[in-house]
Amino acid sequence: MISPRTLRNLRSELSRSLLAKLGIAILAVVLLTAVFAPLLAPHDPTEQDLENANIPPLGFTATENQTTSQMVDGEVKIVEEEVVVNTTAEHPLGTDSLGRDVLSRTMFGARTSLLVGLFGTAIAVVLGVTVGITAGYYGGRIDDALMRFADVMLAFPSLVLAIALIGLWGQASLRIPDPLVAFGIASAEMPENIVLPGTVIVVVALVNWVWFARVARGEALSVRDQEYVKAARSMGGSDLHVIRRHVLPNSLTPILVLATIQIAAIILLESSLSFLGFSGAQLSWGFDIAQGRQYLSSSWWIATVPGLAIVAAVVGINLIGDWLRDALDPGIEGQGGAS
Amino acid sequence: MSRDDSDVNRRTYLKYVGGTAATVGLAGCSDSGGDGSDGEDGDDGSDGEDGDDGSDGGDGEELPEPETREEHLQRANLRLNERAPWVYLNRQYSVYGIASRLDWTARRDERIEAQAISVTEGEPSVTITQSSMDSGLDPHDHRETPTDNIVVQAHDGVLGRNADGDIIDALATDYERLEEGRVRFEIRDGVTFHNGDELQPSDIAYSVNRVVDSEVGIESPQSDQLAGVTGAEVVDGGVEVTSDGVNPIVFSLFASYCKVVQQDWIEARETSEINSDMNGTGPFQVVEYEQDVQIVYEPYADYWGDAPEIEELTIRAASESSTRVSQLLAGETDLIVNVPPQEVSRVRGEDTTEVTAVPSTRVVFNAMRYDVEPFSSPEFRQAMNYAIDLDSIIDNVLQGFADPTGQPTLEGFVGYNGEVGPYPQDVEQAEQLVEDSGHADAEITLETPVGRYLRDVEIAQAVASQIDELSNVSCDVEQRDFASLAGEVTSGDIENMPHFYLLGWGNTTFDASQTIIPLLTSDGALSSYREDEEVDELMSESQNLPGEN
Amino acid sequence: MALGRFLLKRGIQGVLVVWGVVTAVFLLRFITPGDPVTFVAPLDAGAELRAQIAADLGLDQPLYVQYVDYIAGLLQGDMGYSYLRGTEASTIVFARVPATVELAVAATVVAIVIAIPLGVISATRRREPADYGATLFSLVGISTPNFWLGIMLILVLSVQFDLFPTSRRPIGLFETLAFLVTVENGIAAPMNVDAFLDGLWTWLWHIALPAVTLGTYFTALVTRLTRSGMIEELGQPYVRAARAKGLPESLIQYKHALQNTLIPIVTVLGLQLGTLIGGAVITEAVFAWPGLGTLVINAINVRDWPLIQGSLIVIGTGFVLINIFVDALYAYLNPRVVH
Repeated sequence: MISPRTLRNLRSELSRSLLAKLGIAILAVVLLTAVFAPLLAPHDPTEQDLENANIPPLGFTATENQTTSQMVDGEVKIVEEEVVVNTTAEHPLGTDSLGRDVLSRTMFGARTSLLVGLFGTAIAVVLGVTVGITAGYYGGRIDDALMRFADVMLAFPSLVLAIALIGLWGQASLRIPDPLVAFGIASAEMPENIVLPGTVIVVVALVNWVWFARVARGEALSVRDQEYVKAARSMGGSDLHVIRRHVLPNSLTPILVLATIQIAAIILLESSLSFLGFSGAQLSWGFDIAQGRQYLSSSWWIATVPGLAIVAAVVGINLIGDWLRDALDPGIEGQGGAS
Repeated sequence: MSRDDSDVNRRTYLKYVGGTAATVGLAGCSDSGGDGSDGEDGDDGSDGEDGDDGSDGGDGEELPEPETREEHLQRANLRLNERAPWVYLNRQYSVYGIASRLDWTARRDERIEAQAISVTEGEPSVTITQSSMDSGLDPHDHRETPTDNIVVQAHDGVLGRNADGDIIDALATDYERLEEGRVRFEIRDGVTFHNGDELQPSDIAYSVNRVVDSEVGIESPQSDQLAGVTGAEVVDGGVEVTSDGVNPIVFSLFASYCKVVQQDWIEARETSEINSDMNGTGPFQVVEYEQDVQIVYEPYADYWGDAPEIEELTIRAASESSTRVSQLLAGETDLIVNVPPQEVSRVRGEDTTEVTAVPSTRVVFNAMRYDVEPFSSPEFRQAMNYAIDLDSIIDNVLQGFADPTGQPTLEGFVGYNGEVGPYPQDVEQAEQLVEDSGHADAEITLETPVGRYLRDVEIAQAVASQIDELSNVSCDVEQRDFASLAGEVTSGDIENMPHFYLLGWGNTTFDASQTIIPLLTSDGALSSYREDEEVDELMSESQNLPGEN
Repeated sequence: MALGRFLLKRGIQGVLVVWGVVTAVFLLRFITPGDPVTFVAPLDAGAELRAQIAADLGLDQPLYVQYVDYIAGLLQGDMGYSYLRGTEASTIVFARVPATVELAVAATVVAIVIAIPLGVISATRRREPADYGATLFSLVGISTPNFWLGIMLILVLSVQFDLFPTSRRPIGLFETLAFLVTVENGIAAPMNVDAFLDGLWTWLWHIALPAVTLGTYFTALVTRLTRSGMIEELGQPYVRAARAKGLPESLIQYKHALQNTLIPIVTVLGLQLGTLIGGAVITEAVFAWPGLGTLVINAINVRDWPLIQGSLIVIGTGFVLINIFVDALYAYLNPRVVH
């Protein structure tokens, strides 16, 4: 399916585009960090150290208030203002409100966020392409019905769906043993499992499949009336066969490009759901941002570090998407998902 | 308790006859229960090794029978500390940000009565920003603090409270207990509603009935706030309120709840009109009401009490705490609620703004269901309490803006047992208790709402992590959407309740019974602990003894 | 007449979509845990009282009966009463519409004003620093979480530099316009231009930060759409022909290429309306902006179904209307399209 010509296009586009190289470099760093997080992270990301909470990144200072529970004249007196300076490399990017290491959490968070992006997109692609091709290929009433259904999905705020499904299934967390820990390569103190928020994955997929359906339908419509497809059908090829041999390959490139954009949108959607309290995972960029948001005015690093990680990952993935699009098919652009 | 009869639980409960009827002495809400107190508990020996934590002396000593109502409540609190149906966590603080040009003392019951605000400098107009606006202005058809604060500016109660929670006169000038289950209020003369009509005793009776009797007007969600009250009628120019049983805290209830409305005014209006305008006897009257946006008041010229200093009062809302703080710092508002600890230094850092904090009437805890393993074991439940480092959670997670608790009742409430302190952290003891309970290697999950209480998820994560540190228990946190969690807890059927969950409970009656009865007795509608006959008995006896107010 | 038939067809489809939304909400009601009675009953309510309250709210009926009743009411313009507030749902919902529309329009305007020039520059200076700059700007914009931006704007521009108010919507655009057109006793009152200008200024001053916060994602998206669209158009034969004819480059770029590029942009923006409202939840919360987004969230949190349904119907209707408008615009911009 990947022709030599395609490869040539990819290579020449890569050599011309600085941004494409940058994208590959960024994504490589993010992926490697995610895969080898248990080896790279300085601390167990779930280990709390309440005495050392809210430590700023190396070199920064922060002010903290304490009260006594002593009542003075029936009023609570705020007695102590503590200035915290981070001068050790123990927690280079500081700690969060429970004293967990922000760097380690961001490294491990990459796993959840990328896997949610990947699985969410995969489900959305399968669902969207199936619906889209069915609609485009058969046309008529089937097309009408499926596309109106798609419109309903678009007009329906994803949040309502998310709450219903999370309420119904709970978080349906999937626990995947971490091979690095299981085989003793990484320290046994690291978390043994990668926890994936099952329901959230399904929700983001259900919210985003429509965009794939629209693209796939468009491709199916345009291919359907091509001479060679008509010929294949008249020669008695089954629908399934024709779709598999002719329609699907043609849709592949735009779907791939759209998928790179959607992964980014889905990572952001996961963080929005966390923001509103519907996260499944407790170790993901989205969760940390949502928790750290409350501290933006004082302990800004808690939300900002994973936020920058999201920016980096999204920029990297999108630059690669741009590269694919410029090389393969300059005619499509993201019809991105949620912010 | 089967679910069929749980609807009448509290009332039947109050009928458990016991003590004699008594007339009541008037008094303010009694100060802390830490005075004198009653010594040790003659418990039935069913709990494991010393469940109590050293605050009381020799184990196994026979305790004297409790006599007064307060002693009963204190004994119940001691028992509940030992049997540990909850992991006792923290008492929340109310933390306000206020412009320095205002002078105001924060109240413990989370109410903001603008009448008590004085302006030392600048325009006599004041803006208050809460976390949300009202859910309609009907004084009897809501249950949340933000709506309360909007309603109380325009409506008075029969009785009231000062900032410390002591009971004071309001629309009633005198009150007394006539007999078991009947009390009488003498009504203040010359009080007028904002529409100019004079307050009639019948308006007060109507207001009480509108809350407790669904035949009158609405199905009020406040009927539990007047627990035990069955109705009110006008007798000889005063109002007499009847209750099931003695109802020792009846005056306390009327000091916190039941705002007075004008019968004619309410009856002449549609629901939607009642929810968008107010006609009370309070110090402020509504000038402009913009739903979900703001409400503006002016002083009511013929108010029966002292005229407020403020000439214009506006209440608005901003749900994000950082936004409220920014508004205060920018001078766009004068008083904001719920300043989270991390924002305190921003407010204190400015010359024009201050922070004022006061312990609230809200307690946060982890309930454990008595009827499911491993929480059916008192040893296991005690172990959970010994496992956590409450002081550290309060110092670090809540940055000191909370008090530790070791019993369901808060300090300063009637029935608080000053001899009972919080559980200390003792990991070895906890592990031993888990062994003894026969539930070693238990795996448990703590369910917590998200963003409902200050730092709820973080508290839950800290608790779970400390329990998880025990060598023989593993503990996880599951975040829940509050509506689903609350639905399970309030469904009236214990089978629906989560096994182990974080919850907060506000009780502005300043009386132990309004926490223990609903949450920790066999008949309590929200109870996760329905096995303790001793507590049940102590509470039912206490409800039939005269209170101090 | 073609337009009439088009409108009729789209109108019918639109009604179907809104009906689909209502039906979907009812299906979700069936599976969503959490009982509205929890929030309107006394805390100690037992089974009997709860049943009584459920009956008062009409919740004791089988779901299909509630559904039929609701549709019947809806056809008469009745959305039912809010469970919690005792007020007609339609009153509460429609009170929120102006704020939502203002914010959505302002955000879109911000997006278009910034994004289109940026996208054009980026496309016409491909692989130059300006292009890289614009691309990175748009990617960072796409991946910046809304609430982070909003809170930061308030902290820096409002609190630190006192340039903008922190939040709130003290006056609506319609209320401002009312200063110009006031009818008293059937006679048009004199225009109050000063009050109008004051009001307009106040409005603009308050909406600026929320519009930028909500608009950033769209600015980024439209920049990307414009860039890729322009690149594609500039490679089309008609552009080469125009160049050969010696038409000025700026005319080619802005008149021909941009006009064709606008079509997919407008389409995507129309379809993204749901996303806009979703993203608005967070912006509204941060800026205390009284829009539909926060209303839906608050209603979901207490399971106030009439409010949820009412809001979703309004959002769905808005979605349908916008997309009919977009399609009409599409036909106008691209007369070759025959419906």
